[in-house]
Amino acid sequence: MNDSFRRGAKEGFGALFPLSLGLIPWAMVTGVAMRSTGLSVVESMGMNLLVFAGTAQLGTLPLIGSGAPLWLIVLTALVLNLRFVIFSAALAPAFVGQPLRRRLLTGYLLVDGVFAVLSERLLKATDPHWRWGCFIAPAAWCWVLWQVFAFVGVIGADALPSDWSLEFMATIALLVMLVPMAASRPMLVAALVGGIATVMLRGMPLKLGLVAGIALGIAAGFVAERWQDDRRRA
Amino acid sequence: MIEGAWLWITLVLIGSTTILTRGSFIIPGERAKLPPVAQRVLRYAPAAALAALVAPDILLDAGDFDPFNPKMAAALAVIAATAHWRNPWLPFFIGMAVLLVLRKGMGW
Repeated sequence: MNDSFRRGAKEGFGALFPLSLGLIPWAMVTGVAMRSTGLSVVESMGMNLLVFAGTAQLGTLPLIGSGAPLWLIVLTALVLNLRFVIFSAALAPAFVGQPLRRRLLTGYLLVDGVFAVLSERLLKATDPHWRWGCFIAPAAWCWVLWQVFAFVGVIGADALPSDWSLEFMATIALLVMLVPMAASRPMLVAALVGGIATVMLRGMPLKLGLVAGIALGIAAGFVAERWQDDRRRA
Repeated sequence: MIEGAWLWITLVLIGSTTILTRGSFIIPGERAKLPPVAQRVLRYAPAAALAALVAPDILLDAGDFDPFNPKMAAALAVIAATAHWRNPWLPFFIGMAVLLVLRKGMGW
């Protein structure tokens, strides 16, 4: 722990702290949603530690609850996590030269907020100690917040009445994430097509309708983006 | 509901998608680049997937297409609350309140 590590840690933590408090309701809702799907306290915290990705957790809960085939659950989680490939590619230059265990830890801890707030700082910096401090301090803080408040939700779920349709909290959480995303026209097209196609294709065997619906949504968003670009150019 | 050992296997596999995606370019530790077309396509994956997961829950009632149901009403309230206010708790309170009032209060 040298001085530049400490300065980086201070900078990163200060930048992310206000936003990180927004994780609290998410973590608690995820905790409640895991319990109301039917997971035990240990299973819920196991999921929280192993997956550590709110969207993938909330998105796969209904599939776990309905006993969907394993491949479909894993594929859905993969699709929900695909955005991280973009984050990972963008941030990779900042971690070249770090030891493998640090890169592995980064692969576990890189959540949306950390990328959104810190990527510019991390890529601009040249000192690897400063960089590592600027990443690991706020990233570890987010992890602690997520685990602690998910645990509050997991324990608190018992105190809530069981006939309140609390599993709907997962749907609400997914909607809250979707609304700001759908602000751009092609993104809205991707969401509408993805949603409506999945409902229309629900009769497909092996729940393939979900996979097909998502694929159609992605394609529709991409096509809409091309149209928008062409119109701007014309 | 998936239970016991299968549940744990499922959770480990879901977790592996987290590491595989977040670590995809960072863990190899090289200066690899993602092709621009792949980047543009991948951007739409979360929105399409989130909508695909939400839509059946709010558009279907007992497996049949029926957009006029309490969950749909609650979802519209959630969308309005998310679009208009920045309070992170509000959509959860409003959404659950609408659903519970319609279901328990009015027996819909």
